[in-house]
Amino acid sequence: MSGHAEDPVLEESKRFFTFFNLSMILVAITGIEIVIIYVETFEGSTIIGILFATSILKFVGVVWWFMHLRWDKFLNTVLFLMGLVIALATYFAVIYMADTHPVIAEEDFSVNPLEGKWEAGKDYVKGDYVLQDDSYFEANFDHKAPSSFSAQVDSGKGLSTAWTEVDGVPHLFKWKVSHGDLIEINSNDPSNEFFHQYEPAEKENIEGTKIALLKKEATKEKFRIRIRSEAYLTVWPEDPNQ
Amino acid sequence: MSDPATHAIEHHEPVTSTGIPSKKILMWAFLGSDCMFFGTLISTHLIYRKISATVGSTTVDIRNIFDIELTSFSTFILLASSLFMALAVSAIHKGNLKSTRWMLLGTIIFGSIFLACQVYEFTHFVTHEGHELTLSHYQDQDHVFGSTFYVLTGTHGTHVAIGVFWLLGWLVYSFTGKMSTADAMDIECCGLYWHFVDIVWIIIFPVVYLMEYAF
Repeated sequence: MSGHAEDPVLEESKRFFTFFNLSMILVAITGIEIVIIYVETFEGSTIIGILFATSILKFVGVVWWFMHLRWDKFLNTVLFLMGLVIALATYFAVIYMADTHPVIAEEDFSVNPLEGKWEAGKDYVKGDYVLQDDSYFEANFDHKAPSSFSAQVDSGKGLSTAWTEVDGVPHLFKWKVSHGDLIEINSNDPSNEFFHQYEPAEKENIEGTKIALLKKEATKEKFRIRIRSEAYLTVWPEDPNQ
Repeated sequence: MSDPATHAIEHHEPVTSTGIPSKKILMWAFLGSDCMFFGTLISTHLIYRKISATVGSTTVDIRNIFDIELTSFSTFILLASSLFMALAVSAIHKGNLKSTRWMLLGTIIFGSIFLACQVYEFTHFVTHEGHELTLSHYQDQDHVFGSTFYVLTGTHGTHVAIGVFWLLGWLVYSFTGKMSTADAMDIECCGLYWHFVDIVWIIIFPVVYLMEYAF
């Protein structure tokens, strides 16, 4: 970097043509960018690729020649590159972390009372609910239903109490949401409590079901589902007080 | 190798351990940090552009809001101002004060035209019926795109305005009769800042404006 091989004034005069030529090239590249947009013959990805390439060319042209990095000490380039690299890293990190509101459509959340009646010969598993004579019963163990309903069923070790009448109405909750990392469903009715919160194993296209015993019959309007992603919270239905 | 920096080092600037004038190192460090600043603004804009592509069920037609002819014109103007700036730095290193003055004036005029275009653009967006990009709402609904657009382009415009005032200061100073090649490093730092403003626009123009036409 030291020493003057040529007359400094002559050197500067030569740079006039470098700057002028570069300026014309930059104008031409910008013109190409605009023409590409106007002709509308390229696909979106092609346009983005071309814009990306032309921007880099223009960027390097200005930094390298107009800003004298071409002739300056390397330390200046390092200083600038440090900022640039961190800026690019920030850009890609933010793009990677980009989050959106979880989406749940009205039809993708439902709460309905179970209305499955007891059926002879059907296989039941522990925890199943059946409607029998306007009362709900819960299965105490896995068994095959006999020909007629009876609380006492042969479990293989003698008669056992297969069905226990429950005090309440079993409901089936179903939901389907776009994405999220925490799902919470709770009742808006203090006299009919319900709360369910979990972290889904799959973070996208989440589908879930839950059977729960409520004190009384209810519909989905009495419940609220909240889905949280990294940065957003979607609440359905929206709370008018918020 | 002869370069403007070397002239200054040899004739006007105190010798440093790096061999680079401290002012210049400071300016490059500042520009590096400003890169990070604009990097976050551009990232934020792109993300909110993606998120807020629609308002309710209505797609926001940004193409009809932007005036690409005006923005293209202002891009050419800013590129031309960079040429004037480079020539101003070159002229002061040669000790040609008259040429330096004209080139500084050219940069100021072109920078001012760019600013005028931006003021017109913002005014047009805000006041023109049906072409709103308001700060936080679009058609009475929450919409962040306008905010990020204004913050990004507005911050860049502020940088341009600061550059114009800085150059104006040098232009006025040139008429005092005190300007000499001893000021070359200061003007070169001013030039670095101006070119940086130019390269930021080189990124903003395709990313914010032209890319809207890619889809």
